[in-house]
Amino acid sequence: MEFSEYIKTANVEDVVLRQPLHPPGRGTLCITGHHLLFSDREEGSCQQVLLLLRNIDAIEKSVENLLTCSGLFSNAGLSQRLDIMLSGSSGTITIKCKDLRVLQLDIPGMEECLNIARSIETLSCLDSMSELYPFFYRPSNASLRDQWGLSSLERHYSQMKELHDRWRLSTVNRDFSVCPSYPQAVIVPKSTDDDMLEKVAKFRQGGRFPVLCYYHKKNGMVIMRSSQPLTGANRKRCREDEQLLQAVIDGSDKGYIIDTRSSQQALQARMTGGGLESKSCYSSWKRLQRQMERGKALQESLIKLVEACEDESNNMDRWLSKLENSKWLSHVQTALSTAGLLAECVERDGHSVLVHGSEGTDSTLLISTLAQLIMDPSCRTLEGFLTLLEREWVQAGHPFQQRCAHSAHSHARLQQESPVFLLLLDCVWQLWRQFPLALGFSEALLLRLATEAYASDYGTFLGNNQQERCALGVKENTHCLFQALLRPRERDCYSNPLYEHTELAIWPSVHPQSLQLWRGFFLRWTPQTHHLEEAQEEIRNMVIEWGKLALSSCPAST
Amino acid sequence: MEFAELIKTPRVDGVVLHRPFMPTVEGTLCLTGHHLILSSRQDNTEELWLLHSNIDCIEKRFVGSLGTIIVKCKDLRVIQLDIPGMEECLNIANSIEALSTLDILSLMYPFFYRPMFEVIEDGWKSFLPLDAFKDLETMTDEWRLSEVNKDFIVCPSYPPLVAVPKDIDDDTLRKVASFRHGGRFPVLSYYHKKNGMVMMRSGQPLTGTNGRRCKEDEKLINATLRPGKRGYIIDTRTINVAQQAKARGGGIESEANYPQWRRIHKAVERSNVLQESLIKLVEACNDQSHSMDRWLSKLEASNWQTHVKEILTTACLAAQCIDRGASVLVHGTEGADSTLQVTSLAQIILDPACRTIRGFQSLVEREWLQAGHPFQQRCAQSAYSNSKPRQEAPVFLLFLDCVWQILRQFPCSFEFSESFLVLVFEHSYASQFGTFLGNSTAERAKLSLPEKTVSLWSWVNRPQELERLTNPLYEANSLVIWPSVAPQSLLLWEGVFLRWNRSSKCLDEAYEEMVHIIEYNKELQNKVNSLRRQLAQLETEDPLLQTP
Repeated sequence: MEFSEYIKTANVEDVVLRQPLHPPGRGTLCITGHHLLFSDREEGSCQQVLLLLRNIDAIEKSVENLLTCSGLFSNAGLSQRLDIMLSGSSGTITIKCKDLRVLQLDIPGMEECLNIARSIETLSCLDSMSELYPFFYRPSNASLRDQWGLSSLERHYSQMKELHDRWRLSTVNRDFSVCPSYPQAVIVPKSTDDDMLEKVAKFRQGGRFPVLCYYHKKNGMVIMRSSQPLTGANRKRCREDEQLLQAVIDGSDKGYIIDTRSSQQALQARMTGGGLESKSCYSSWKRLQRQMERGKALQESLIKLVEACEDESNNMDRWLSKLENSKWLSHVQTALSTAGLLAECVERDGHSVLVHGSEGTDSTLLISTLAQLIMDPSCRTLEGFLTLLEREWVQAGHPFQQRCAHSAHSHARLQQESPVFLLLLDCVWQLWRQFPLALGFSEALLLRLATEAYASDYGTFLGNNQQERCALGVKENTHCLFQALLRPRERDCYSNPLYEHTELAIWPSVHPQSLQLWRGFFLRWTPQTHHLEEAQEEIRNMVIEWGKLALSSCPAST
Repeated sequence: MEFAELIKTPRVDGVVLHRPFMPTVEGTLCLTGHHLILSSRQDNTEELWLLHSNIDCIEKRFVGSLGTIIVKCKDLRVIQLDIPGMEECLNIANSIEALSTLDILSLMYPFFYRPMFEVIEDGWKSFLPLDAFKDLETMTDEWRLSEVNKDFIVCPSYPPLVAVPKDIDDDTLRKVASFRHGGRFPVLSYYHKKNGMVMMRSGQPLTGTNGRRCKEDEKLINATLRPGKRGYIIDTRTINVAQQAKARGGGIESEANYPQWRRIHKAVERSNVLQESLIKLVEACNDQSHSMDRWLSKLEASNWQTHVKEILTTACLAAQCIDRGASVLVHGTEGADSTLQVTSLAQIILDPACRTIRGFQSLVEREWLQAGHPFQQRCAQSAYSNSKPRQEAPVFLLFLDCVWQILRQFPCSFEFSESFLVLVFEHSYASQFGTFLGNSTAERAKLSLPEKTVSLWSWVNRPQELERLTNPLYEANSLVIWPSVAPQSLLLWEGVFLRWNRSSKCLDEAYEEMVHIIEYNKELQNKVNSLRRQLAQLETEDPLLQTP
């Protein structure tokens, strides 16, 4: 396929662009296979906007003129007049981005406007992954031979010497046949061999058998994650699954299973082949049901929230009730309190925990990640956090492609979209706000990740799991976002200048009064958020300046 | 009256104190005429010194002979005292109730307080109307300082000196005063240097049902207009409320009699509605339930944020009129509440001087204390009191909340930090200083406050205190700052309303760290500058060192 097929009009002059935080500009609009490029040709300013088409969630075109024209069109004799009208008319395209920015383009010429709109509509949601921009992006400062990714499970395992006694690295999934959404290597109890794992995989949805996700060095307790057991209506059991979990506890009195569904949901899941771990078969495990919202409900919540944020009625009651109605903050609260519960089981009560919901690729990852941030200081550095995301989201098989296909503005019928990753970033922001010294990264990093997950130059969030990424050759043909974020200049920008390492667990307050709307993201394109960013920028610049001073004063002193 | 009469049990041993974010302390409880004191006699635990006037209400409970008194303070803190012995507990509770509601001003603590610090500058003399007028004279000669109110007869709530248009004599002022609510004739509140526009404030005109008019009033406010220019009257009441006021003798400036003025009505809520809103808000903030929905709907039901938005919107409107070249007269009913909120916030928006520590003190002094906001009545009770509210209303607290909103939106444009606003809030409700005592300058003069009490500003304007209250991010910004008043942009003021509910330890640490970074940066910059100077000097002295 050639992109040019979709581009009838590649260039339009004299377009007016209106975007938040900037005065309107007049200039040239270009459409390429992956980008919308606007360059301001006015004297004294050279504003350029380069927007990934993938970042466009929805467009609206104003077509009033077109309707009157098509009325005329039925009258054959007037087609000449129609031409005149078309050339003299103009259209407006409103572009709503996945990062919640809204742009408006006033385009002279109805036909040009319609062509541009059509191109954007087609090119912004291309299905074929291998045609996405990351496969074409070739920055001058990086090579495709650079290291891809920050770590692998193999490396993670070899670094964690304390694991080696009781845990082993299994490559049972090396060809992705046992569990398509798992990486090639996983960490499991030493006493379970690969044959057992294959059997357990058949007993868990999507083959997601329990694997180690976190080892708590202080007391040797662990967090495991999996998907739901496939007990079905007739309460099938699987000895190997029970043995595997028994091996996790190994001698200590009991463990906890945190199921991210309500009891009722879990029981109902039996009708569709799923189920839960019964008390009788898993006697040393205590099950805790904590309902977390998933899938569609979350997506709808996001849509409502963004709609509330964009409401211009200027009515305080309306804003607060819309905010409440969206339920977004309730979801943040539930996620943080469930993660708190998980961390409490491990850190305070000294028990190992298995986490799962249904598929084990969404809410499961959300709370296991947050719990690690709460307990483990090594996850709280910039590098540590990115490594955690790589391990717990990218490698663990969160289906980014499906979940982030659309954001809050899309009119398309919802399929698998769900802002689980965005909810994670919001929860991390809440932690960051409550513990401004404890996290080594800045709010800017969270904002960048929120944007990149939905539309990116990099290959990191492409595909739904490692298998898909291997098939596409993501490693060989795209650049890695996490590596890019750690380059010196980016590192300066995404580090928290106030960071001070602490060994302590950071327990977030989950009182409703303590949680706030993440204005930096949801109201990002309004001026007052901009002022706050500037103040943070100021502090960051000071810290960077010192770095330079320290470097420049070194040779002088010797 | 002797305080001793009110204190049956002056001290109790073995009292346990619970307070937010601090370990429990056991010690001796003492009651004095003005304080509740708990001291543990151990060096490492902090003592509690609580002004009785800070106590909003108490609750007592008994379990066997162990009594518990819950003390709810006007600064919204809640502490608990466990007192052994039923009788002792009852005595203590009765004493606190009596001492915390004393309404004889001359017995208040400020009259007994002697400063333990060196007064560098007497705050009572820092912001005299005469000095403010001298500043005005450097900008314009169209105004004069009138002494018509020197004995507080023309307007009991005005100061002895007020600025009025030069061409208006005192006789005219007396006539105008009889036509305005409470004698509050229009006076100058702010002169906008950039374009010479002015903001005035007054009480409502007393037109009554038969549409009385007062030529002198018309003459006075017209005298502030440039030839051919129109002005705006911002009435802080809705048109309905304003019309209804006619039945009680009040009213509005009719278009027929004031053809050069356009009236704009805005709905800023007044007294009792605001007090109820505060009570509901604080109740919501203290709600222990874990339900997000409940919190958000209680927050909404309190309407507090709506009030913040309305006040800010009206202030922006006033500022906008002035900035675009029109003079403004602001009033509501009495002109001592919502009027002052609007005029003082408009100045914060327009005038960079009001955003400095000293400028803000001067603003509070001019636009609230001297302008006759009845602090004694409005701040008699805070959010916990069970007694029927009379004149109480968090008008001044709402003003501070609005300032905080602007400060949050423009974190670099204010010389003071949030803690200054919190400090001013605390002292407006209960204080060892005399600044906020009384309802007007007349009352303050009668009580001889300047002679007998210490001013809050005397305490604030000392280097160590100023350092604590300074905003490390401050960079003088001479521009007008337009706050966003979209509901999405306004936040709950956590520093006051959630101060005692969630620990701010981590946030404080981060703040300290930021201050440290900025200080260090300044230090380094000074070092760089002095090295540069040395280098330049060496280069001129020694030609060999000059770079080729």
